[in-house]
Amino acid sequence: MIKINEAAWKAMVAHAEAKFPNECCGAMIGSIAGDVKDVTLAQPLENAYTGAQGARYELRPEDLLEADKKARAAGLDLIGIFHSHPDCDAYFSKTDLENSCPWYSFVVLSVKGGKFDHANSFLPNAEQTAAEKEELIWPKS
Amino acid sequence: MAKVLIPTPLRQFADKHDSVDLAGATVAEVLASLTQKFPDLRKQLFNDEGKMRSFVNVYLNDDDIRYLKKDATPVAAGDTLSIVPSIAGGV
Repeated sequence: MIKINEAAWKAMVAHAEAKFPNECCGAMIGSIAGDVKDVTLAQPLENAYTGAQGARYELRPEDLLEADKKARAAGLDLIGIFHSHPDCDAYFSKTDLENSCPWYSFVVLSVKGGKFDHANSFLPNAEQTAAEKEELIWPKS
Repeated sequence: MAKVLIPTPLRQFADKHDSVDLAGATVAEVLASLTQKFPDLRKQLFNDEGKMRSFVNVYLNDDDIRYLKKDATPVAAGDTLSIVPSIAGGV
């Protein structure tokens, strides 16, 4: 299960809505206790995809490395990655799957007409052939 | 000895260590030391053919080893190796 606190969630939604109609991306940082991942900090990162960003995103590994360093320095952990699907549901697409890694939770935010609509979290496998849905809890406003 | 930083989700395969000091003169040797010490990490980092998984990047200090000498990149005492995934996607 992945739980996102209010401050982190607001940052994720704000980033997703601000980047609409493009895809946004970022890192989720927090702590893990047993099966529960608590996200307490969301770090928006630049979408580095060089083509049209309405349907694609790419994280620079060095940006992720920097986010991991910040998390370690704060005694926290890099837990997952978030990105948005503009005017599209929050599913884990073929492109998402083929460019994923099995180590992190992947939260997808659906943004429709510029406003957040719904979200889901996924756990891809190492072969990049399937992604299991993960229970996601976010503060409902 | 070089320090290898273990990403959070991989610590379960590394006796919960967040970093580990390992011997090796090159990146390949340090990674071999890593997977020898923690065999369960091998499957996470390498495929069945023994090649590094496509989403795995290794940084020597702040530099991507792909732009150095790849896994033949020399490693000196005090260097830090980081394991960072490639991530992208889209609708």
